[in-house]
Amino acid sequence: MKDVLAPDFELTDTTGRAVRLSDFRGKKNVVLVFNRGFA
Amino acid sequence: MAQLRLDYAEFQRLNAEIVAIGPDGPNAFRRFWESQQMPFIGLADIGSKVAELYHQEVNIFKLGRMPAVLVVDKRGVIRYHHYGRSMADIPANSEVLTVLQEIVEDEKHE
Repeated sequence: MKDVLAPDFELTDTTGRAVRLSDFRGKKNVVLVFNRGFA
Repeated sequence: MAQLRLDYAEFQRLNAEIVAIGPDGPNAFRRFWESQQMPFIGLADIGSKVAELYHQEVNIFKLGRMPAVLVVDKRGVIRYHHYGRSMADIPANSEVLTVLQEIVEDEKHE
């Protein structure tokens, strides 16, 4: 797996703010954690 | 995720943001997040659309109901992925931190 771009997406966070993966481009590394749910 | 939280400061030190994505509805998600005072970003993936997107486009793993962890660098490139074989199968923090350390090192040499 070489240079696979992570697909961009937009979701709303727990504070109601829209978050896009591309928001972090050029700024931060991102650890994406897909969890199974907790509720 | 409680495990990740233990080393949150370490992740931040390596210029990483932790973004948790889960299938719970926004209200349940927010209630859980606030009750646990989770420090990182939590995203309600309504209808598991993003999970499905990653399965289809990245095709490294089948997301199904298993946990998965990916590290995405500042260029948007996937540098690491771990697909859990069981519900409790997530990588040790040290493994993820090592990847981030390597990314930080790479950036110094650019």
